[in-house]
Amino acid sequence: MAPWLANGLIYASALALTAGGITLLYITTRTFNFAHASMATVGFYVVYSFIIFIGGSPYRYFPFAFLFGALLGVICYYGLNRPLLKRQASEITLMMSTLGYDLILLSLIQMYCDFLTSNYKLFPRRVNMNMYDLELFGINAATIILPLMAIICLSALHLFLGKTKFGVAMKATIENPVLAGASGINSDRVYMVAWLIGGGMASLGGAAMAMAQTGTPVMGMNSIPFMFAGAILGGLHSLYGGILGGFMVGLAEYAGVFLLSQKFGPWILGYRMGIPLLLMAITLLIFPRGLAGIPWADLFGRLTGKKRGVQA
Amino acid sequence: MLTVRNLNSGYGKLQILYNLDLEVPAKGITVVVGPNGAGKTTLLSSIMGTANVFSGEVLFEDEPITGQQTHLLARKGISYVPQMGNVFAELSVMDNLHMAGYLMSKSEARLKAEQMTEMFPVLKKFIHRKAGTLSGGERRMLAVAMGLMKNPKLMLLDELSTDLAPIIAEKVLLEVIRLRDELGITILIVEQMAKRALEIGDTAYLLVSGGVKYAGKASELLHEPELCNLYLGIKQLPKQQDNTRIPSSEGRG
Amino acid sequence: MSDDKQIVSRLKGFLLRREVIITAVIVALLTFLLITRGVPMILTIFIDFAIFAIVTLSLNLEVGYTGISQFGRVLAVMAGAFGAGAIPGRVMAAIMGLPWGASYAEATVNFKLVPQLTAVLEKSWFLSIVFLIFCLLVAALCGAGIGWLTSRPAIRLKEAYLGISLLAFGDLLMWIGHNWEPLVGATTSVYIPDPFRFVPGNRFQVVVITVFVIAFLIYFFINKLTHSPFGRTLKMVRDNEISAAAAGKDVVKIRTRSLMIGSAIAAIGGALYVIYTGAATAIGFTRLTWTFWPWAFMMLGGIGSNLGVLLGVFLLTILRSMITIFRFQVFGFLIQWGIDPTWLEFTLMGAVIIVVVLFLPHGLVPEKVEPVLPADRVQKVITNMSSRGRFLT
Repeated sequence: MAPWLANGLIYASALALTAGGITLLYITTRTFNFAHASMATVGFYVVYSFIIFIGGSPYRYFPFAFLFGALLGVICYYGLNRPLLKRQASEITLMMSTLGYDLILLSLIQMYCDFLTSNYKLFPRRVNMNMYDLELFGINAATIILPLMAIICLSALHLFLGKTKFGVAMKATIENPVLAGASGINSDRVYMVAWLIGGGMASLGGAAMAMAQTGTPVMGMNSIPFMFAGAILGGLHSLYGGILGGFMVGLAEYAGVFLLSQKFGPWILGYRMGIPLLLMAITLLIFPRGLAGIPWADLFGRLTGKKRGVQA
Repeated sequence: MLTVRNLNSGYGKLQILYNLDLEVPAKGITVVVGPNGAGKTTLLSSIMGTANVFSGEVLFEDEPITGQQTHLLARKGISYVPQMGNVFAELSVMDNLHMAGYLMSKSEARLKAEQMTEMFPVLKKFIHRKAGTLSGGERRMLAVAMGLMKNPKLMLLDELSTDLAPIIAEKVLLEVIRLRDELGITILIVEQMAKRALEIGDTAYLLVSGGVKYAGKASELLHEPELCNLYLGIKQLPKQQDNTRIPSSEGRG
Repeated sequence: MSDDKQIVSRLKGFLLRREVIITAVIVALLTFLLITRGVPMILTIFIDFAIFAIVTLSLNLEVGYTGISQFGRVLAVMAGAFGAGAIPGRVMAAIMGLPWGASYAEATVNFKLVPQLTAVLEKSWFLSIVFLIFCLLVAALCGAGIGWLTSRPAIRLKEAYLGISLLAFGDLLMWIGHNWEPLVGATTSVYIPDPFRFVPGNRFQVVVITVFVIAFLIYFFINKLTHSPFGRTLKMVRDNEISAAAAGKDVVKIRTRSLMIGSAIAAIGGALYVIYTGAATAIGFTRLTWTFWPWAFMMLGGIGSNLGVLLGVFLLTILRSMITIFRFQVFGFLIQWGIDPTWLEFTLMGAVIIVVVLFLPHGLVPEKVEPVLPADRVQKVITNMSSRGRFLT
C-alpha cells in the first residue's frame, strides 16, 4: 500500500471518530466542544504513558484512552455543561465554556510533559508512535487495525442507537427533548452518556491520530479545525454525516497532498491544511447545511424512480 | 387533581401568564379555550416544566410540582400531548409507541402498543414507517396513542383536533369522553374547536391575554353570548343543536 | 444637612460601582508592581494592555454589538501584521532603489536591507511619522479587506458554522504566511524599519506612549461609534435580525460594515505589535493568542461593554504577567517537579473563562441596557394608550 494511503486511512479513521464525537455532542447538547482538541491529545498521552511505563503494543491501551476520555467528558458535563444547559445558555456561551476547559486540559498536558521530561529523561514533546507499532502482513499494523477499530466502534454506536432502548431514547431526545421528557426519558442521563461516548471517541481518535502523525502536546489543538471541518461537512445534524465528513476530510488531505505534489512539486506540502478547508468551504458554499443538507433522498428517489412520502 | 395557583410564567424574560389560577377536578374534562396568543400552550408548558415559572405554584395530587423536570412528571402519571412536535419524526411508528412506554417493562409496553394499534388501525398499517412520513392526521393519531400508552392519571392535550379531518376529530373527542368514563382519567384540553370542546367538557376556563376571563361550567360558557362572540368566534344560535362545523376565528394558541 | 447626606450616599454609590472597584484594584496592583519591580515591568504591561485592548475592542464591536460569532480575530490581526511587514518597507526600498521584489522578504537580504531603511528613518522625524502612519493605513486597509472577505460567508452561514469557518481560515492564513516566503519571510521573520529611532533616549518608552495613545484614541472612537445611531442599529441587528430587516435596515450591509471597521481596527493592533517587536513572524499569530485570549478578555470585562473590555484586558494582562514575575516565589513547588510555571497562564485563562461563564455571565461590567426612549416618555405613551382603551387588562 502506498504510504500516503496508509497514513491517510489511519488519519481519516481518527478524524471520523473525533468528528463523530463533536457531532454527537452538538446534536445532543448544542455544544461545540473545543475541548475535543485536548481530549484527543490526552488519549494519545494515555497510550504513550502506558507504553513507556509498562510496555507492549499500543493497541492494548486504546481502551484506557477511551475510558480516560469518557471520564474527562463526564467531568465536563457535570462541572460545566449541565449548569449552563439548565440556564439555557446560548450556543456561543456553551462553546466558550468548553474552550476554558480545553485551556486547562492543555496546561495540564504541558505540565505533564515537563514532568516526564525532567523526571524520566523522556522526550514526550515529539513522539513517533510508529516506533511502537507491530507489523502485520508486511505493513504497519496500524493501517489495518485502526480503520477496522473505527468501523467496529462506529458500528457498535450504530447498534447502540438503533437497537437498545436507551439508544432509541437518545435518538428521541436528540430529536425532541420536550416530548422525550414527557415520555419519561431523563434527558440529563442522555446528555451524560453523550459526553461519555463523545469524550471517549475524542481520546480514542487522538490515540489513533498519533499513529499517523508526530505526537505533540498541541497535536489536538492543531487538528481541531479539521475535526470541526469534518463535523461541518457532515452537516452537524446527523451523526453518520459527521463520521463520514471526518473520514472524507482526512482522506482528502492525504490524497490531495499526494496528487498535487506529484503535479506541482513538494512545495505544496506546506499548504496541506488548505485542502480539507477548501473542501469544507466549497461544500458549505453549495450546501450551507453540509452533506446532510444535500437532498440525498430526492436524488436517490429520482434515480430509482420511486417517490417518497406517498400517503396511502 | 391539578391546581395552579397564582402562576406567573413565560419564556426567557418574556412573561405570558399573569396571576393565573386554575383547578382541574379529578376524573373530569377541563377545557381551556381562548383566542390566539392567550397563553394556552404556555400554561401547559408551565405545568410540564418547560417554560420559565417566575412565581406561583403548580400542585398535582396536592404535591408541589412547580419547575420539576419533565421526566419526573411523566413518572408521576402526567401525560402530555403537545400541539407541535408531538411525535419523533426520525423513529418508526413502533419505536414511537415504545418510547412513549419508556417507563414500562418491555412486555407491558408491547401489550399496550398492540392495544393502541387496535384502537387506531391506521397505525398498524404503517407500523414500520418513520413517523415523519405520516400525514398530519395520522401523526396526530399517533400522538394521541402515545399519550394513552402511558396509562396516565392526567392527560394534557394541546390542540387535539388540529390537522384532523372533522369526522376523525369527532371520533377522537368521543374517545376522550370514553377515557374519562371508562378509565377515569382526568383530562385537561386546550382546544381550537372551542365549541366541540366545550360541549364535551365539564369545567371550562377562558384565557385572555394571560389571565382567566371566565371560570365555571363548560356548558354555561357556551351561553355567555358576549364572551363567545368576542373571544371564541362562536355565534350564538340559541336552542338549536347545530351539527355543522363552525369555523373558528382563531389559529393555533 | 440633607444635602450632605445626599452627597455621601451618592459618593457611596459611585465608589461601590463595579468599574470603580475594578479600577481601584488595577491601580493597586500596578502600584505594587511599580514598587517591587520598577518602571520597565510597568511599561511591558502597558504595551501588552494597549495592543490587546485594541484587538479586544474590535472583537467586542463585532461580537458584543453586532452579534457575529467572530472566532477568526487572528485573521484580521495577521492581515495587519503581514500588511505592515510586507508593504511599507518594500515601498521605501523601491523608492530608494534597493531590491523590493520577492527577494525583499528573503532572510539573507532582509536582515541587511532593513537596517539601511531604519538608518534613513532615524535621521528625519518627519519621514518616521509618515512611515508609521503609512504602516497603520496599509494595515487598516488590509484589515478592512479581510473584514469584507469574512463578511461574505457571514451572510450565508449561521452562528456556529461561521465561527468554525473563520477559525479554520485563521489557521490557513497563518500557514500561508509560514510557507510563502515573499509575504513575510515564511519560517524566518521579516524585519520592519523602525520609525521610533529618531527620538533620542529610550525607544521603548516612546513606543509605549505612542501605542497607548493610539489605543485610547481607538477606545474613544469605538465608544463614540457604538453610542451613535449606527451603534444602535448594530444592537438591533444583534438582538433581532428579522425585526431589524422589517424596520428597513439592510442587515447585510450593516454586518459587512461592522466587520470591516472591526477588522481594520484589529489590523491596526496587529501592525502596532509587529512595529513594536520590530519583526513579523507568521508562526507567532496563533489563534490561541490572537483569538482566544481576546475572547477571554472580552468575556471577563463584559460582552457589549467597551469600558468593561478595557478593564478586563488590563486586569488579565496584569495577572498574566504576575504569574511570570512571581513564578519562583509562589510556584516553587512546581519547579521542584521540573514543571515550568508559565503553563499556569493557560490554566489561569481557562479558569477565568469558566468562572465568568458559570458565575459572571455578563462580565465584570455588564452591558448597560439603554432604552431608545427615556423611561418617562415610555410611561407617557403607555398611559396615553391605555386611556384610549388600547390595552385590555
